[in-house]
Amino acid sequence: MPAAVLQFVGSLAAVVAIVTVAWLLGSRKSANLSDEEEARELFRLAPGGFEPVEIALDTEGAAAIARDADGRLAMLVPHGNQFVFRLVPPDTPIRVEGDSVTPGNRPFLRITIGESARDWANTDSGDNNG
Amino acid sequence: MPFDPVAYAIPVFVALILGELLWTRFAGDAHAYEWRDTGTSLAIGLGSTVAGAITGGLTAALLVWVHGFAPLSIGWAWWAWPLCFVLDDLAYYVFHRSAHRVRWFWASHVNHHSSQHYNLSTALRQSWTGFVALSFIFRLPLALIGFEPGMILACAGLNLVYQFWIHTETVKRLPRWFEAVMNTPSHHRVHHAVNARYLDRNYAGTFIVWDRLFGTFAPEDGEDRIRYGIVSQLGTFNLFYAVFHEWIGIARDVWKAPWRHKLSYLWREPGWSHDGSRETSDMIRRRWLESRGEQ
Ligand SMILES: [Zn+2]
Ligand SMILES: [Zn+2]
Repeated sequence: MPAAVLQFVGSLAAVVAIVTVAWLLGSRKSANLSDEEEARELFRLAPGGFEPVEIALDTEGAAAIARDADGRLAMLVPHGNQFVFRLVPPDTPIRVEGDSVTPGNRPFLRITIGESARDWANTDSGDNNG
Repeated sequence: MPFDPVAYAIPVFVALILGELLWTRFAGDAHAYEWRDTGTSLAIGLGSTVAGAITGGLTAALLVWVHGFAPLSIGWAWWAWPLCFVLDDLAYYVFHRSAHRVRWFWASHVNHHSSQHYNLSTALRQSWTGFVALSFIFRLPLALIGFEPGMILACAGLNLVYQFWIHTETVKRLPRWFEAVMNTPSHHRVHHAVNARYLDRNYAGTFIVWDRLFGTFAPEDGEDRIRYGIVSQLGTFNLFYAVFHEWIGIARDVWKAPWRHKLSYLWREPGWSHDGSRETSDMIRRRWLESRGEQ
């Protein structure tokens, strides 16, 4: 079936062309949160719901961390130019270094939130069990 | 091989995607497209044409077989075309509604929804596993009534082509009469939204009237910004994960579930769980209404 093969090769070439144009036109911006309200709205859309009582934004708006009334922690992690919700498993150690917070020894989850970083530490482990 | 409108439409799809890319870029919307997301969407689309080539013959054969039982053959009369298109669109509505309400069907349809973007490239995220998910059964009744299998497949293809252009944020609202009858970008944005108020709404293919008729219509509301995708966002651009993740999820759930609940993980709605540990879209909507102080 050469016609089918031709159609496939043509389509594949078109896919490569479109992705290249998208890249060249700068469709590779990273995700950005404009304010706490936007972060709150995204946290609320989480599967099972997540109602933040406290939110900290990354200083560049590139991520967010939040706590709900039950003491659960969650993050908005950038994925392309959008965000994905991630619940931080309970009892995850939260390390604070200066202005930044790192949950569970995962450097890629490090978020720089400024002064308030200290408030998110849970090194005194009972903290999260309310 | 029956006439396939989709094959002829591909060059138009490509041109329109490039047009939308340029348009959004020069309108200053740098977030409309994401190059890796676009790559995943288009690769899913390309893969679906391969899957279609493999299983298309089987679907056609089934239609021909069922057509043999039809009490009368409608043939190729000119008036049969619009009638076939409208009835096929109704069949599409039923298919699409089931695709969102039965997890076995959803496992195939989910990859149309798993992008967090809503642009013309999203339209091409078509399923690879539609045959396994039995999508063809919804079109068999048309053959049984007596419509020509070739006509049914052509109408199905035209319907798919129609649905391409509505996957865009660049078109806001169209004239009132058009929005009343036809599926439009506005109506279909609602369908792709994960906002609680919009979940499981606007299943229409070409004509929105089915949703209005069967109580599944929701108008686009300016109140909150639409967020696209699925309730548990994928968080990856991996092509194969995007295509198969829900099938993997089903296998895992069936494996782990107690015997008397195993089958429910196949036919119950997405998000259903035997221990109530997850949420269905109805549960999400209820929780949202409660949070607004409504019942
Ligand atoms: Zn759908
Ligand atoms: Zn769609």
